[in-house]
Amino acid sequence: MSAAGFFEADGRRLSRGGIMLLMAPFFALILFAFLYPLLSLISISFLEPAPTLDNYQRVFENPVYARVLMRTLRIAVLVTLLSLALSFPVALAMAHARGPKAVFLAACVLLPFWSSVLVRTAAWAVLLQRNGLINQGLQAIGLTSEPLRLLYTQGAVVIAMTHVLMPFMVLPIYGALRNIPPDYGRAAAICGAGPLRAFWEVTLPIAMPGVIGGSILVFLTALGFFITPALLGSPQEMMIATLISQQMREILDWPFAAALVGVLTLFVTAVTLAFSRVFRFDRMMGGHT
Amino acid sequence: MAVEAAPQSRGASIEIEHLDKYFGAVRAVDDVSLSIAAGEFIALLGPSGSGKSTILMSLAGFERPTGGRILIDGQDCTYLPPYKRNIGMVFQHYTLFPHLSVMDNVAFPLKMRGISKAERRRQAEAALETVRLAGYGQRMPKQLSGGQQQRVALARAIVYRPRVLLMDEPLSALDKNLREEMQLEIKRLHSELGLTVVFVTHDQSEALTMADRIAILKSGRLQQVSPARELYERPSNLFTASFIGEMNMLPAEWDGRTASLPGGGVMEVGAKSMIDPVGPGKSVLAIRPERLSIAAPDSAGSWPATVCDVIYAGAGTLVIAEMPGGTEVRVRLPSNAVGSLSRGEAIGLTCPPDAALLYSAEQAT
Repeated sequence: MSAAGFFEADGRRLSRGGIMLLMAPFFALILFAFLYPLLSLISISFLEPAPTLDNYQRVFENPVYARVLMRTLRIAVLVTLLSLALSFPVALAMAHARGPKAVFLAACVLLPFWSSVLVRTAAWAVLLQRNGLINQGLQAIGLTSEPLRLLYTQGAVVIAMTHVLMPFMVLPIYGALRNIPPDYGRAAAICGAGPLRAFWEVTLPIAMPGVIGGSILVFLTALGFFITPALLGSPQEMMIATLISQQMREILDWPFAAALVGVLTLFVTAVTLAFSRVFRFDRMMGGHT
Repeated sequence: MAVEAAPQSRGASIEIEHLDKYFGAVRAVDDVSLSIAAGEFIALLGPSGSGKSTILMSLAGFERPTGGRILIDGQDCTYLPPYKRNIGMVFQHYTLFPHLSVMDNVAFPLKMRGISKAERRRQAEAALETVRLAGYGQRMPKQLSGGQQQRVALARAIVYRPRVLLMDEPLSALDKNLREEMQLEIKRLHSELGLTVVFVTHDQSEALTMADRIAILKSGRLQQVSPARELYERPSNLFTASFIGEMNMLPAEWDGRTASLPGGGVMEVGAKSMIDPVGPGKSVLAIRPERLSIAAPDSAGSWPATVCDVIYAGAGTLVIAEMPGGTEVRVRLPSNAVGSLSRGEAIGLTCPPDAALLYSAEQAT
């Protein structure tokens, strides 16, 4: 395609063809590596052993699976709320920091982000184990007399997932806060708003797209999270990703695993659509327009 | 139904006493003292880094002065947080809250003051009417033009009837026509509401047209505080003389009675032509370009010079000439008073005795 066709006549905006060309590799990858495998997997759930809805019936009829779904949902909500509570102050500090302090804070958030999820999860296993640092600490200060069972609990899963997913919350909120010119805070103050009031009435509403964006990222990622629940969770309290993996690799019931994938996909899609209707996705990425 | 103005002045007086502000080792404000009368419109004018914004930010409470005091109506506000000062402020970039409608923006200060919703609406509507934006309340800030946004910001700053209004280069983001319109608008509001206005700008014509008095700042120090005419006609030092308008600075030798210019020109200087007494020695003769006129070469009392350039600009013409020794002199004449002048032509320059001001040359550094 010639350069002339790549841009609109004004020479600045990309033409439709130009946009298509830039996006083509991405769409090809999505099609090949995501949509095709996902759809063929889900098709198994309807077609094997024979064309049937039995696999879905099983998901909804057996209370064990409904409990797994509800538990997954509850953990995802908990992780989202917890990481929101922990991330907002961090994002706020980062947005207000300048110079070396800003670099240091960014490194604190990003360095763990760049390390593998497996490593971070294993670190929690070390900390939470029977003779781990946390149990030793609790006993040393006399809060408990014997080691608590911390590992392989839902609590461990929630804490470790929060830790792993926090950057996804910090970064969008930081982006939104960073985009707020300092004069807004000054304008609020001179209008008579004390620091808390100014935060509540001005900073928070303007940063809301970042909060929503981060929450969606964390929530959706948490729904399908695998490594952390598999390593730190209790086998009796599985989350859906662990259940799917178990069905595939241990029980080798692919049609039923595929049905679980279908339900999870449907659920994620529904949540995304619902949020995007309420909060306008286009405004969410990269703060307000 | 606009913001009701009390018949008498309702502005507050402001006393700035020996204000100092250091940023690290940099002295941004250096012992500035300034009395602003109730209801006065004062402009802080200076190049960037002169400390004018820091003074304004200290008045608003966004900067904590290193030393000195700020009294508003006799009350010490030096360290009072901004939200307790009850001051209005308009910022350079409008800073309307993007998530609130125009009405909610204007009503915001009233909400912070715990005023009931109905009363907020009524007063916000009145303030919008005052800035001629009645009926725009339901729009979002982004739907308004830059000039309209700045009017909304103005309405938000006056809606709670503060007695002091601070303006931080409020017009610099607007284009020229809008700027002139807003200048008149702000002047009108000032006289209608009787507020004390402190206006920061780096645009000297804006300061000269709008303010009752202008405070000139340079590197954190106050240079002069005067009404526009005095500032232009009797600048108190060489910085102000060169900062405001155009000024010829002619090096001269001063013997206590006459100033001798390079090339043999001589001028008698009376006491009225000195702001501060100048001791004999090297000095500077400051003359506005429009006060000089051109005479025949060697005519009595004229100073010899050579024409370098003649620049025609409609109503006026600028003649750039050179005195012996290389000093450049600018002469602004009405175009119809300029005869035929050509480059390299020898001319004489004349100047009425009251048009020149004498400064000590030491000041120049």
